[in-house]
Amino acid sequence: MKPLFTRIAAASVALLGSLLVAGCGGGGATADTTPKFSPSAVVSFGDSLSDQGTYKVGTVAALGGGQYTVNGIGPHWLERIATLYGLAKPCPAQQGLDGLASQGFSVPVKNNAGCFAYGQGGARVTNPVGPGNKLLGGSNAVLGQLTVPVVTQMQNHLTAAGGSYKGTELVFVYAGGNDVFINLATVQATIGAGGDPTAAATAGVTAMGKAGAELAGYVKALVVGKGAKNVVVINLPDVSLTPFAKSLPAATQGLVLQMVNTFNDQLKTGLSGADVVWADAAQGVRDQIADPAKFSLTNVTTPACDLSAAKNPLGSSLVCSAANVIAGDVSHYLFADSVHPTPYGNQLLSQLVALELARKGWL
Amino acid sequence: MNIKSLLAVTLLSATGLVHAQSAGSFIVYGGAAQINPQVESGDLTAPSLAGTKVDVKKASSFVGGVTYFWTDNISIDLPIALPFKHDVVGAGAIEGVGKLGTVKSLPMTLLAQYRFGDANSAFRPFVGAGPTYGYFFKPRATATLSGITGGSPATPTTLSMKSRLGATLELGAAYNVTKDWSASLSVTKTFIKTTGSLSTGQTIETTLDPVSIKFGVGYRF
Repeated sequence: MKPLFTRIAAASVALLGSLLVAGCGGGGATADTTPKFSPSAVVSFGDSLSDQGTYKVGTVAALGGGQYTVNGIGPHWLERIATLYGLAKPCPAQQGLDGLASQGFSVPVKNNAGCFAYGQGGARVTNPVGPGNKLLGGSNAVLGQLTVPVVTQMQNHLTAAGGSYKGTELVFVYAGGNDVFINLATVQATIGAGGDPTAAATAGVTAMGKAGAELAGYVKALVVGKGAKNVVVINLPDVSLTPFAKSLPAATQGLVLQMVNTFNDQLKTGLSGADVVWADAAQGVRDQIADPAKFSLTNVTTPACDLSAAKNPLGSSLVCSAANVIAGDVSHYLFADSVHPTPYGNQLLSQLVALELARKGWL
Repeated sequence: MNIKSLLAVTLLSATGLVHAQSAGSFIVYGGAAQINPQVESGDLTAPSLAGTKVDVKKASSFVGGVTYFWTDNISIDLPIALPFKHDVVGAGAIEGVGKLGTVKSLPMTLLAQYRFGDANSAFRPFVGAGPTYGYFFKPRATATLSGITGGSPATPTTLSMKSRLGATLELGAAYNVTKDWSASLSVTKTFIKTTGSLSTGQTIETTLDPVSIKFGVGYRF
């Protein structure tokens, strides 16, 4: 056997060599944010919850508004998703208002080439007249929202895109809330006029089921059927948990819940067999409201915007910004106004959508 | 070298009465190892979906080390490995989202071993035990992690795993192929926990308790 010293030296050299090979470097945390799928564009259809600034014109723009949230303090859910894919902030496909010229709410409608965010505040699934449309009269005529329905939005995109999808677009469909508001108003009007409450409620729920089934049909015929391969359908959030519904009698809240569930059930049933990603926003909002702390939400009942006439001429988050929110820290409030989410609420929705995109292998 | 010829050489060496593993021997070895974490994940703290968990997948790497024979039967083993790269994937409420990131691990272990048989036995089973320092480094997050936590490419959500001390138990066997050359195979169980953290503030307690298999060829100096 060789002398001990020689053996130790030889062993040390062998060990040192392996250590050098190991070359353990620093431990800095990094990220590779390249998604698994690279969409050519984000295309979205829906209502105020997807609106990227259809009405950011005239007085609405002058007031620092334009989207249905606390404007200017954080990205919208759709913008967050586009950003994940390295795409620019989605721009509204159409802009303008058809309200009172005297108040700066009459702005000629223009279509923005290359902009595929079709969602408009007040838009319904099929009926062209939604909340804020001047044809409804009263305060609706002041703002004069365009409320182009989802079915027309989808047709408009096909016209703009030459009749079909390329198959590389990431498409979002998110609608139904305005059908709840109009159908609920119809139920209330029927009962107010002496109609049978049960029959009126049943008619309202039935109408919601029809809207859900119609939306599923449009997704299949006008989106998937026209070559779209990456389609995400977000169901209707539980409107019965919004400050709007919470201000109504318990029985009415129950009716709203029934409307939401019937709409979502029909939407889901109608989409069975279609290759679309289903994002359960209804359950998302229920989870958030059941355990706000788990989502770092500090308030799930009070609107973050000061909706008093003195501070907010429209009583809507459409013209809400940091300049007219209520006092205190509203950064982790869920609702901006009676129905729309804050930027943080938008972030939570984007996370819910991203979860499903990842599950599908698209993120 | 196939098993048959390995066995033949082993038998020859055994009959040759060599003193392959005797007191004072240094054996430097090289080989490969696979670490297979047996993860038991806690829940990610708020803000998160209730029941958000993680899984840490198995990884393989090259491993080497030195064994010093204190006596003919008691040895001290210091394995030195190249980093292992593990995938960290979503589980629980976020099951199915796939890879959230990767993290490299470098387990640093010092084992005291008892080797059965004599210094000149061809086949020597052994048991070992000792401390392990699990060093976790170079964590790299994915777009998925940013997506589900509100990050963006400009401000991505990153993850990290705290390096921790644990304990390892070992069961193995060595063949002394010749006087100087040997081959060994061992299975180790390490008891170790870590705390994962996100740049968005959430943490998650995770028990890793990996089972590792290590194969090596050694040379006696």
